[in-house]
Amino acid sequence: MDAFLTSRIISDILAGLTNGVIYGLVALSLVLVWRSTRILNFAQGAMPMFAAYVGMVVFAHELGYWPLVGISILAGFTVGGVTERVLVRHLYGKPEINPIVVMVGFLIVLEGVAAAIWSTTPRGIPNPFSPIDWQLGGKPVSLSPFSVYEIVTGLVVMTLIAVLFRFTKLGLQLRASALAPEVSRLLGVRVGRMLTLGWILSTGVGTICTVLVASNFFTGLTPQVMDGIFAFGFIAAAVGGLDSPVGAIVAGVSIGIILQFVGDYVNSNAIILTALIILIVSLMVRPNGLFTKSSARRV
Amino acid sequence: MIAVEELSVSYGAVQALRGVSFRAETGMITAVLGANGAGKTTLLRTISGLKEPVKGTITLDEHSLVRERPENIARLGVGHVPEGRGVISEFTVEENLRLGAMMAKVNLSDGLNEQYERFPVLGERRKQHAAKLSGGERQMLAMARALIAQPTVLLLDEPSLGLAPLVTAQLMHAIRDLCASKSLTVILVEQNATTALRISDYAVILYLGRVVANDAAANIVADEDLREHYLGKVE
Amino acid sequence: MQWILARRRVAVTAGLVVVAVVVTALTASSVRDGVALGVALAVAITGVATLTIAGLREAHPVLARAALTVVVLDASLFATYFFSSITNFNLAIGAAMSIVLLGLSFLTGASGQISLGNSAFMGVGALAVAIWANHHASTPIVVTLLIAVVSGALVGLLLGLPATRLRGPYLAGMTLAFAVAFTAIVNSFSSWTGGDAGLQLPTAVTPPNWLSSLFNAQTSLLTVNTMWLADITIVVTGVAFFFMANLFASRTGRAMRLIRDNDVAAELVGVSLPRTRVIAFMVSSAYAALGGALWTLINNSVSPPTYSLALSITILSLVVIGGIGTIPGALIGGLIYAYSTNVISWFTAHTGINPQGNLASQLPGIIFGGLLILTMLFAPMGIVGAVRRLWAKRRVRSAT
Repeated sequence: MDAFLTSRIISDILAGLTNGVIYGLVALSLVLVWRSTRILNFAQGAMPMFAAYVGMVVFAHELGYWPLVGISILAGFTVGGVTERVLVRHLYGKPEINPIVVMVGFLIVLEGVAAAIWSTTPRGIPNPFSPIDWQLGGKPVSLSPFSVYEIVTGLVVMTLIAVLFRFTKLGLQLRASALAPEVSRLLGVRVGRMLTLGWILSTGVGTICTVLVASNFFTGLTPQVMDGIFAFGFIAAAVGGLDSPVGAIVAGVSIGIILQFVGDYVNSNAIILTALIILIVSLMVRPNGLFTKSSARRV
Repeated sequence: MIAVEELSVSYGAVQALRGVSFRAETGMITAVLGANGAGKTTLLRTISGLKEPVKGTITLDEHSLVRERPENIARLGVGHVPEGRGVISEFTVEENLRLGAMMAKVNLSDGLNEQYERFPVLGERRKQHAAKLSGGERQMLAMARALIAQPTVLLLDEPSLGLAPLVTAQLMHAIRDLCASKSLTVILVEQNATTALRISDYAVILYLGRVVANDAAANIVADEDLREHYLGKVE
Repeated sequence: MQWILARRRVAVTAGLVVVAVVVTALTASSVRDGVALGVALAVAITGVATLTIAGLREAHPVLARAALTVVVLDASLFATYFFSSITNFNLAIGAAMSIVLLGLSFLTGASGQISLGNSAFMGVGALAVAIWANHHASTPIVVTLLIAVVSGALVGLLLGLPATRLRGPYLAGMTLAFAVAFTAIVNSFSSWTGGDAGLQLPTAVTPPNWLSSLFNAQTSLLTVNTMWLADITIVVTGVAFFFMANLFASRTGRAMRLIRDNDVAAELVGVSLPRTRVIAFMVSSAYAALGGALWTLINNSVSPPTYSLALSITILSLVVIGGIGTIPGALIGGLIYAYSTNVISWFTAHTGINPQGNLASQLPGIIFGGLLILTMLFAPMGIVGAVRRLWAKRRVRSAT
């Protein structure tokens, strides 16, 4: 049993799962915004990054880890809500490249401002979880207290989002506003607020994800910490289908595991190349994603 | 009671409504008739706030509805069943109804039961996706979804569109009963004038955005000139 | 009436010439540069004005475009003779960039698609030139550049295959992934590409002997080389712009605009969506590769980390600021790029920002990003769009 758990294959699966949960969270946050406002948010990595700096760095000397996480999430909600109200609201109903361009601009502004204030030096974030892998019979299992923390947090967030959308009145209104904004308004749903809430939730999910990434002993927080992860998260969302939260999570986790194998058995340069090939092939086979049922298109 | 005064609406350079005035009395069905493009749907969309008028007033009892957001107008008790029914096909029957009940003052399960009693077929299919429903069932769902919010005003846009004559007859009957039992103010937009006039108390005829007739339904049925010019044949 | 119009045009031309001379005199790094640029601009503007006045544009559009290209090229080439080598270098870098911008501008403006991978396509062209030159040192420049263009188009085709079936956001995301992946891809083939360190050209691009001997009496070799590079870049840019102007006006160009405005309608009138989209994407990639190839020639080397996502975003910003889908917009964007470093350091010097500090190093990103957002929100057609709108307003006013 020990030999099995420390074998190369199981190690890769466990390490891949840890990364995959992160990709799944980014993909989920992209899907939340896409479903409610039909905008692919290219600042989906940068907005949480900024919130994480506000939360984790500004009060780093006064407070412990958990209060800092709490402040970060609140900052994430605020960044998401304010962005929707101030910036995104003007982009509804415009040609589809306008929001892309604006969010790309927002991405580099946020990264620039963060680097100007906090510099590009990585910030370590002390946290209660050891990054050292557990040992079994003298060999490491590819699992540390920190990666368990990442996986559990990811699963909890995904479950909470699922419960919110499936079983609450609020979730019903959020889904209705995304699917049929006009009809929802006729039924008294405050669609404008629901769109803001969609952005708030999405940035909140992104912030939790960024906090996890930044808390990792080996990465730390930098202004561009989410750039590469955003690319993987986007690939997961596109493969799973931008309309499908379940697809985003499943694709995120699968891609995480596949890429771990590629990195281990081929080399680390092949990782992103493989991801790109997965994306291209899956878009050729199922342009709307593997998990999207209908391919209804607006005319 | 809904009072519309001198209402003008335009889409860019196209004037859809030109100085429309009429009243829809409480407990009565007011039919709005006219050909395609006469401005019927625009009228309903303006009443429920989806379209902003250029000028004119709309009042519900003492509330002015002009420049009010659609969600607030809905919360004042205006139920709008849009053309093509607006049923959310990705939702189940029950989810559609729950969405409709969002701002109702009554208990959710009471509301659901009342609608399932009125439209038993919806009760049987409550767990199914609305996409699987037939045209008539969708229309019932759209009506039930509006009614579950306990509205005082019901705006119906072409409810008979695409329905078999027998189903249409049943539907019209149901509207008639509802209006009487709940003392609703019903504005019924129809292209099918025959069916609409049969159950209406009053009728307004629109032609290219203007009111050309506004009278008791019986008088309109009796006016052969009017029927011939604006409504085609009415038996 | 005709006479009044003609007089107004002369007045406007004269005014533009004066403004151009004053602006160049103020901004150029030396007096000689200023004079040269001023003369060049004056010739160019007068040429443009004369050519449009003759009604040639309506009668023979291709001929008019050719004449216009020749006039502007002549003026620019003439100016490079007087420029300092720094100005020539900036000009060459900016001109090559304007080719890249034109490619993206065409893709976005004509077909409504967006690519965040153009830095990587530049990198493809830049590397193709260097790799080829390291194996076949004596290839003529034209052939080398063509190889870069073809490799850019081929990679574009490869990525464009799924793109043909995709709408905006998916393509943008996919090309972003390509831009992020570029350095890793380069590193996977490091025996060819030199990895992160990149490649040197085996020999610098030098002017033919007769030209050097003509100038050697007066100037140093370095100046002649930079001038020669600027001239090559300017000529290539002219050809690229000429070709694109015709493509914009062609059947294919019209088909692409139709797709952008309404793809369903386009399909109904028989435009093949996949083919047209993939052509647009390939043209844009090939132009980016050409720009990258020129950069390699100008710098005498290629450094793959240059071709990062940040460069792609800069490219996008410049296209948007200049004016999406317009030819002058791409030129304006190229000029802005050529002088942005100067302007930003001038800005830091005059606002008292610590030039070694974090803020100063982040300023380009913040400014470009900010301008990108503001342009898209308040003037979505960029500088050219704003000028055209003012122009149209004036016309309406003078007509009534």
